[in-house]
Amino acid sequence: MSSVASHRPSPIAWLIAPALLLFLLFFILPFAVMVVMSFFSGNPISNPNAVLTTRHYQRFIEDSAGIFHDALWETLRIGLVTTVVSLLIGYPLAHWMARMQSRLGHALALMAVIAPLLTGIVVRTFAWMTILQDKGVINTTLISWGLISKPLPLMYNEFGTVVALVHIYVPFMVLTLIGVIARIDERLEQAARSLGAGRFRAFLEVTLPLSLPGILAGSLLVFALSISAYVTPSLMGGTDVLTLPMLIAQQLGTSFNPSFAGALGVILLAVCLVIVIAYNAILGRLSGEQGLA
Amino acid sequence: MTSASIKLESVTKSFDGKVVAVDGVTLEIKAGEFFSLLGPSGCGKTTSLRMIAGFESPDSGRVHVGGQDITDVPVHHRDMGMVFQSYALFPHRTVAENVAFGLRMRGVSRSEIDRRVAAALAQVALTGFEHRRPAQLSGGQQQRVALARAIVIEPRVLLCDEPLGALDRKLRQQMQFELKELQQRLGVTLVFVTHDQEEALAMSDRIAVMNRGKVEQVGSPTEIYERPRTRFVADFIGEINLLDDGSKPRALRPEKIRLVPTAQARLAGTVETANFLGGATLYRVSAGGRTYLARETHSGERSPRAAGDAVGLAWNDTDIVTLES
Repeated sequence: MSSVASHRPSPIAWLIAPALLLFLLFFILPFAVMVVMSFFSGNPISNPNAVLTTRHYQRFIEDSAGIFHDALWETLRIGLVTTVVSLLIGYPLAHWMARMQSRLGHALALMAVIAPLLTGIVVRTFAWMTILQDKGVINTTLISWGLISKPLPLMYNEFGTVVALVHIYVPFMVLTLIGVIARIDERLEQAARSLGAGRFRAFLEVTLPLSLPGILAGSLLVFALSISAYVTPSLMGGTDVLTLPMLIAQQLGTSFNPSFAGALGVILLAVCLVIVIAYNAILGRLSGEQGLA
Repeated sequence: MTSASIKLESVTKSFDGKVVAVDGVTLEIKAGEFFSLLGPSGCGKTTSLRMIAGFESPDSGRVHVGGQDITDVPVHHRDMGMVFQSYALFPHRTVAENVAFGLRMRGVSRSEIDRRVAAALAQVALTGFEHRRPAQLSGGQQQRVALARAIVIEPRVLLCDEPLGALDRKLRQQMQFELKELQQRLGVTLVFVTHDQEEALAMSDRIAVMNRGKVEQVGSPTEIYERPRTRFVADFIGEINLLDDGSKPRALRPEKIRLVPTAQARLAGTVETANFLGGATLYRVSAGGRTYLARETHSGERSPRAAGDAVGLAWNDTDIVTLES
């Protein structure tokens, strides 16, 4: 924020030490271990014969079994669809809440948005299962009304996975967007309207471009969360869906191949970073580069 | 540029069903007039302006512009220029794009837009600033961009909501001259909302003084100043001595009171404080059991009086204004 930097560290600077330690211990260290492991043939501590190798990466690139590339593509596709749907649901909601005059209404709407976060992901996913499965609420209702004869395939596929993920991540989108939209002066839209723009045109010309930073931040957050999701795709995806996080868990849990799991982790992170940087650059250009950072 | 008259017909607006912001206001603003809505905050002046602009719709009453009832016409079809207190410039667009906005919404051709934007920026002396962004401009320059953006669409009516409120005193005075000159040059009807009585007196053809959602008095600046009708108007505009000795309150401006030797005085008193104002001194004089304000302009020889000096007060009865309430 402020560019005025003091050269002497503040006397309370040491207060960030616990956070720094936590960051080192639970982020930097595991990440370093993962990267190192991905370049070894085995665990170099327990297995003295382990050698340096790039074969885990080659295995992924060659993909002789034909599942790794599909898993990566499926992961990204689920992430993308979840992000777009969350944005389409979250933006109107955030806009409505940010412009709400009544404090009570705002508080109630905020509670409704946050409420899903108070329930665990597993519980929420199971709730979706009771709604979407073949003998679930929707299918049994539709069948009893005679609208369909066979249950619709609502879960154990990508559709069910995306539905559950959107439910979980919409609050992140909304909370990110509310702050940004609320800071946009309403009089800007009024000025646009007084100059001859209808309500929707005024929104497109003024509020939407000015909320691009929020759209950017919210989308990246939801995208990152949904491509790294494990529980929901595993429970909702059935045998139809295999994402990279599921593959990683498989390699660790059933194949006992932590080195390959590490390589998959690095690949997921690398792909994710490339997409984030590209997205950032594109939106940055769209929003006119200035005054929005 | 064609200008239009404005008529508010017993317009009432309340918020949340209880707070009456504007209470049966009737006003006639002539075409080409510089008209000010003056009053303290919460008096309903801004709400009145926003009803003319179309941002609020009245609970009852009608709004006419140029003889047409526009009460139900949406904002973007009203063809009015509006200047906001905060300027409301689009931060993501350049100066030229800001000014071009209204023309673009009207589907004006590219070359025509360029020509008219250049002309509007020339009107407000901002040629050469086309490619700056609002954040790169000073407050006064932003104010001018907001003006250019409002006049480029050649509105019949220009609405200004405390447009000079955020400027410092010196710049404000300069902008007062510029705005008045611009309005005369364009011949546009201008409705100006302000809480600053000096500003209203300096610029307006006519002023409506508002209080608690009602219009207290409409008149030219001299009428409003010299002949205030109500106690509120007398008190709100400038300094005043309210003389509550008779059946009706009477008012006397400080500059109408002369400080004279006690022998020739109507009242003898003592100077309490003397505030030097540059071109004049404002005295508080206690006399006859109350305090009088007297303003003495410094023309010719000065005979400064200090606190504690004995002094006489004199005035002409014709200068006393009898108020309604």
